[in-house]
Amino acid sequence: MQREGSPFTGIGPVFMKELSDHLTSIRMMVLTLFVIVFGAFPVASSLQTLRTVVSADAYLYLRIFTIEPQQVPISFISALNFIIPLMAIGLGFDSVNSEFNRRTLSRVLSQPIYRDALLLGKFLGGLMTLAVGLLALWLIVFGAGLLLLGIPPRGVEVARAFGFLVVAVFYGGVWLAIAMLFSVVFRSTATSALCALGLWLFFFILWPMIANALVLGFAPAEITSIDQYVGIQELAIALQRLSPGTLFSEALLGLLNPETRTLGFMLPTQMRGAIPNAPLPLDQSLLLIWPQVTGLIAGMIVVFSAAYVVFQREEVRA
Amino acid sequence: MRRLIASLALIAAPILIANQTFAADPPKPPAGAAAATAANAAPLHGMWLLTDYPSQTVRPGEVSTIRFKLQNAGIAPESLAVSVDGAPAGWKIDVMGNGQPIAAAMAPTNDSVALQLRVEVPKDAAPGSQNIVVHAKGATQSIALPMTLTIGKEVPAKIAIKTQLPSLIGTPKSSFDYTLSVTNESGKEMTMALAAQAPGNFQTTFTEGYGTNEISSLPIEAGASKDIKVKVRPPSDVKAGNYPVLVKVSGQGATAEQKVTLQISGQGQLSLTAKDGRLSGEAQVGKTSDYTLIVGNDGTAPIENVEMSGSVPSDWKVEFAPKAIQNVAPGEKREVKVSVTPSDKAIAGDYVASFRAGGRGDSKSADFRITVTTSTLWGMVGIGIIAIALLVLLGAVARFGRR
Repeated sequence: MQREGSPFTGIGPVFMKELSDHLTSIRMMVLTLFVIVFGAFPVASSLQTLRTVVSADAYLYLRIFTIEPQQVPISFISALNFIIPLMAIGLGFDSVNSEFNRRTLSRVLSQPIYRDALLLGKFLGGLMTLAVGLLALWLIVFGAGLLLLGIPPRGVEVARAFGFLVVAVFYGGVWLAIAMLFSVVFRSTATSALCALGLWLFFFILWPMIANALVLGFAPAEITSIDQYVGIQELAIALQRLSPGTLFSEALLGLLNPETRTLGFMLPTQMRGAIPNAPLPLDQSLLLIWPQVTGLIAGMIVVFSAAYVVFQREEVRA
Repeated sequence: MRRLIASLALIAAPILIANQTFAADPPKPPAGAAAATAANAAPLHGMWLLTDYPSQTVRPGEVSTIRFKLQNAGIAPESLAVSVDGAPAGWKIDVMGNGQPIAAAMAPTNDSVALQLRVEVPKDAAPGSQNIVVHAKGATQSIALPMTLTIGKEVPAKIAIKTQLPSLIGTPKSSFDYTLSVTNESGKEMTMALAAQAPGNFQTTFTEGYGTNEISSLPIEAGASKDIKVKVRPPSDVKAGNYPVLVKVSGQGATAEQKVTLQISGQGQLSLTAKDGRLSGEAQVGKTSDYTLIVGNDGTAPIENVEMSGSVPSDWKVEFAPKAIQNVAPGEKREVKVSVTPSDKAIAGDYVASFRAGGRGDSKSADFRITVTTSTLWGMVGIGIIAIALLVLLGAVARFGRR
């Protein structure tokens, strides 16, 4: 049976309602506080370190994000790599099943709003909330840099840092889509939260070990040629890249460290004649990280599609 | 008669000493007389006053120094009072030893004492010869040294200059060092002024012997000679040819000249730059990029057989058109096209490629910074993947969309 009108009618009200719910909720306050504390500590320490730097550095501003200060063994981007999934899961793990449990889902859907619009509106609302939080954090970091370093960033540094913000939002989107998938699949909010957090822990703790074990299993007993060696190294990198966290950190490496020439495995012969520490132009850096960004965006869309398919086939009356 | 007795005494002395009958009376040789006849017979014994030139020239109004010495040959040292007799009126003659006036001298056995006569001749001394006698008297010895001092005219100042290597060969870059020996052939110490006449823009400097300080004048004692070094530095753009440099040494009216010659041979000097002066360029992975290099000759002689070569990262290709240039004349500039192909597996970023032009006599290399960019093909593929994901979503909307 053909339906009438656009499937996205009513997406606006859902989006606005979801956004206002998120922004006024205590949960959002807690998450924001969490993120700011987690992000501010490495930034404050790296700014302390950068204030003592005397050598000329064309990308001094970007170092705020990337350097690992001596006091804390974690840089700002690795803190974000860890904390953005938590924020996204916190925003998305109960988006659908809480409505179901409160028996408001059928009431909403009795309005002229399709399920498509409801799910997409909820997703975009969550993504917007995430973007607002990250933008605030980004501006705080930039402002602190201006205040404590006393130099303005160059245009290309702002462009690269902005790229970082965009990639961070997509990374959050992947985890938001995963959390929403679980919220659609499981009726219990506790179960969906547990599953989402379990997946997060799996990718951060277990997956690197499993990938290593898999590579060891695939590797021949004796490596006889350089092609074999390169193949094994590339397999290891490919397995690691199944984790969204790896894609995110590689993309940030290319963006925030302009000296990065490649994210894959590289033979020493390929470096012969290369000028060390020569920064890549911005467009080349973007080309370098584009596969990673593609992976994040496409992964986000695919996971969302899965959530959509499940949601469409679900019984919503309680 | 005295001479005969002296020689007899010398010949007889060993025998007499051996017989122990004549020991108390040692021979008493007169100054400067005994040597001639007894030279071959036996070693000389005795004391003498000696001077190289017993007859000398002195000039009115000046102080002359006459060197002499007290020589002791084989006898016991003895203090001898030294005095001068026969000094004309108005003259002042002092006996000096070690710069001080002395009255007595003592020569060790088989040694001598250097002494001087300081002769002050009055301005109005009449021309002619004056005889003086220098006496040395002691307990057993009494020696005399007669001398003749002639009032003479002043010897004119004269300077001699000579060099062993008056002609040197080199390139415009070399430095030409000539060593000149300057002799003061007059009777007095002179301060010589040094000058050199060289073609325009040639730099000349004088240094003393092995010294490093630049000098413009140099004092030389009477009769002595000193080595000076003239360093000539031609301008770097000088043409090949022979260039004379006249070195002039002058002092107190006397002048000496010495001509030295620089034989400068031409030298080619290659230059290698890019056409617009920018030593950097871009190249795409796996694709050939062309740059234009300029090979020039800034030197003064042509350079033959200039071959182009380049060192690039491994698996890169580099080609030159033309590969070699037959002849690059001075001041000429030639264009060389260079094609660089980065390897298929090259990674984006900056690389150094070194190009070299090498000819007979000179070579030059230039480092070229090549920025390798990757193709945007994979970017398109990424957009395609995202589009496929969106299509999957739209397909799901179409398939599972509810009424």
